[in-house]
Amino acid sequence: MSVLHALVYLSVLIFVVACFARGLKIARTPMHLRWELQPVPHEKPGKSMFEQVNWWEHSRDKNHFGELGIMIPEILLLKGVWEHNRGLWFPSWALHFGLYLLIGNMALILLLTILLLAGTAQSGVLVNVLVGLIRTLSFIGGGLGVIGAVLMFFKRTFDKNMSKYATPSHYFNIILLGAIFASTVLWAFADHGYISRVTGLYAGVLTASPIPAFTTTGYLNVAVVLLFFIYLPFTHMTHFFTKYFTYHTIRWEDQPNTKGSKIEQNIVKNVTQPVSWASPHIGADGKKNWVDLAGGTGEVKQDKKEEA
Amino acid sequence: MACQFCGVQPASVKDISKGDDPIAKIDPKDLMPLPAPYDGPEYTPDIAELKDETKKTYGKSSTLDGVLAAGIPQPETKEEEAELVDKFLDGLHKLFTKEDNWTFLQPLMLSMEHCARCQTCVENCPVYEASGFNEVYRPTYRAEILRRLYHQHVKPGNKWFKTFQNNGIELNYTLISRLYELSYRCTLCRRCAQSCPVGVDNGLITREIRKLFSQQLGWAPKELHEKGTVQQLLVGSSTGMNSVVVKDNIEFIDEDMTERLGWEVKTPWDVKGADVLLIENAGEFLAWPENHGCTAALLDKAGISWTMSSEIAGYDGVNYGLFYDDVQLARVASRHFAIAKELGVKKIVMGECGHEHKALATIGDRVGVDLPPRESILTLVRDIVKSGALKLDPSKNDFAVTLHDPCNTVRNLGIVEPQREVLRMIAPKFREMTPHGIHNYCCGGGSGFAIMSGFNFNDWRNLVSGRKKFAQILNAFADEDLNTDETKKYVCAPCSNCKGAIRDMLDFYGAKEKSGIHYGGLVELVVNAMVDAAEPVLDWDMM
Ligand code: SF4
Ligand code: SF4
Repeated sequence: MSVLHALVYLSVLIFVVACFARGLKIARTPMHLRWELQPVPHEKPGKSMFEQVNWWEHSRDKNHFGELGIMIPEILLLKGVWEHNRGLWFPSWALHFGLYLLIGNMALILLLTILLLAGTAQSGVLVNVLVGLIRTLSFIGGGLGVIGAVLMFFKRTFDKNMSKYATPSHYFNIILLGAIFASTVLWAFADHGYISRVTGLYAGVLTASPIPAFTTTGYLNVAVVLLFFIYLPFTHMTHFFTKYFTYHTIRWEDQPNTKGSKIEQNIVKNVTQPVSWASPHIGADGKKNWVDLAGGTGEVKQDKKEEA
Repeated sequence: MACQFCGVQPASVKDISKGDDPIAKIDPKDLMPLPAPYDGPEYTPDIAELKDETKKTYGKSSTLDGVLAAGIPQPETKEEEAELVDKFLDGLHKLFTKEDNWTFLQPLMLSMEHCARCQTCVENCPVYEASGFNEVYRPTYRAEILRRLYHQHVKPGNKWFKTFQNNGIELNYTLISRLYELSYRCTLCRRCAQSCPVGVDNGLITREIRKLFSQQLGWAPKELHEKGTVQQLLVGSSTGMNSVVVKDNIEFIDEDMTERLGWEVKTPWDVKGADVLLIENAGEFLAWPENHGCTAALLDKAGISWTMSSEIAGYDGVNYGLFYDDVQLARVASRHFAIAKELGVKKIVMGECGHEHKALATIGDRVGVDLPPRESILTLVRDIVKSGALKLDPSKNDFAVTLHDPCNTVRNLGIVEPQREVLRMIAPKFREMTPHGIHNYCCGGGSGFAIMSGFNFNDWRNLVSGRKKFAQILNAFADEDLNTDETKKYVCAPCSNCKGAIRDMLDFYGAKEKSGIHYGGLVELVVNAMVDAAEPVLDWDMM
């Protein structure tokens, strides 16, 4: 096993474990109070359950396709940015869509590698189609991404709305993504053996067998991609999966507290936790729990207030 | 420090910890223009200057934007300041523990860690827009302060990496006292959150900041705390009315309504086993008594078995805890639920009060178990009107009507259609505002602002936070003559707090006298259209 093997395994492992740990941390936070925000798309328009008299007697008719109707245009077309921040839309869409294409391309490379490992004829129609697609997507995805990264860099730097809130990491992220896109295009363009080398990389990684040598651009591409794998789980860019929580478990949660439900059990768990807030009107001492405090009024007798 | 070039807004987030002068100022020339005939400078006066004495007493907390909503007396010594900063820091840690903040830990953490700083949300904020895009009111400005503090002081990790990702900020007394004030420049309307592609919620962040100040330092506006939740839990109502006074008032309202309608209206009290426990915002009984009178009349006409409760807090649906303090929120909501259980009613019907809807129907849904069901009066009224139990003559409402959507009712609960269905049946000149429904603009009085009037905050509310709504109201009546009070215009606002804010706004701009713009609830319009009412319930001179 080469150093490259080790680096690939390590970075993929870090990516998976760190993303999983982040997701787990969020998922394990206690059940929160309800905080829905309309539109809640699994309800048909004009059909919030609260619009019905005796709503608790009606069966819930959730339409989960409605959620897809919001999520798909949001993820693929950045609909929210289009509607509310038009000037940012193209740079952001190009950056995101370029990335999606490259991710899709990775899946195609994986498929092609598996076919080749399985001994499918090198000249088979499917293999030829895949080879053509991979090359094309490398150009289109990488090219779109480069355009997005460059425009985004200007936006971050010169747009007065964004520059005030930019941090060094924002520039670093754009440069890192830009390097991934640019090196992909360059590698695919300048190296006639591009396809055989990337499939060689995947095959080497999958079967722990030797990986072919790359061009300098190839090594650069692999290096920046691996760096991205290691870096991403520790940044706000994890919104690609934490969005699940912000939408599904908060805005669209929409789960009433019914008798005998899991929600009821979670409430009991939550309200029996000790409270330690320091303001005298709370009356907490680090031992009393939420139930113990619920009967209070918040009144603070003057002498107590002065002590505090 | 205010920006050296413009002098009216902070140059960066870091300015919150710096300098002794206000970091922002409201210049009337910068404010969003109002539509005609309110576009003259006389309709956008200066905000009253804080008195020197006030500035001295409230010290650094008065150096945000020249406005004071809550204010904290300036500590006398540096040591006291340092103590408060330590206490704040302790509270900041608690905000991210599951024991002390299970209530909102997950949404808060997600909002702290995933903002892309893309600013897609900002132009959806009515306060930021109406202010002429003053940096200090940018939805992400206050969120960014908490975010930097969180990463710097709470989140574990390498210090260098955290600064690389989030920049830093100096934590000192100047910051906390200004941040406290700044948390009362957002109406918690959550319009910004609707447009965030990532799902970050700057309204929630503001509420969490308020909570930290209240639950840890005991800092909260007196209108919300001492005179709000505490008074409600001690005396029975945030209005200060005990059960004897409230019963007296309601008796008077019933008598007046009986006289005006020509049939008996009588509010039942403490009826065990009634189907419905009606809990309204007790502010109605003093400021808009006809709202209760009309609600009672409709419930009677529909033959509903209902009651009110004279228990402490049982006759006042407000829950200001919703705006600033989870413990107070839970205490009030628990009282409401316990009273309903004790009476053995089938359901609580929430009166025309937006934040009561949110506090009881959704937020309060997880403060206890085996809770009685809650339903909106808007939904119930829609069904009463549609049932045909009332004889209605829409021509009695032959004036221009527009509808204000209370944020809590529409944006949180999604109750959008029932009030419209009713208006379409009883108000022939009903027209929508733009935008409306779930994309409405706040009345400017959300999150407690409607009842907060200390120092020069009234001016700020009318000129800045309510400005967008006032412009919307004017635009909704653009086809009417706005230079006369002869043609009546009615803003239907089915929420007590919104009515309070709209009342003050119409007074501030003189819009009732100049343009004949009045306001009121939904039930008043329904009863006004009733064929068998002896007199109309809408009295334009009294409104
Ligand atoms: S809150 Fe959302 S929309 Fe606003 S800056 Fe952050 S990520 Fe962008
Ligand atoms: S919650 Fe409303 S007022 Fe507050 S920042 Fe967002 S849009 Fe503005």
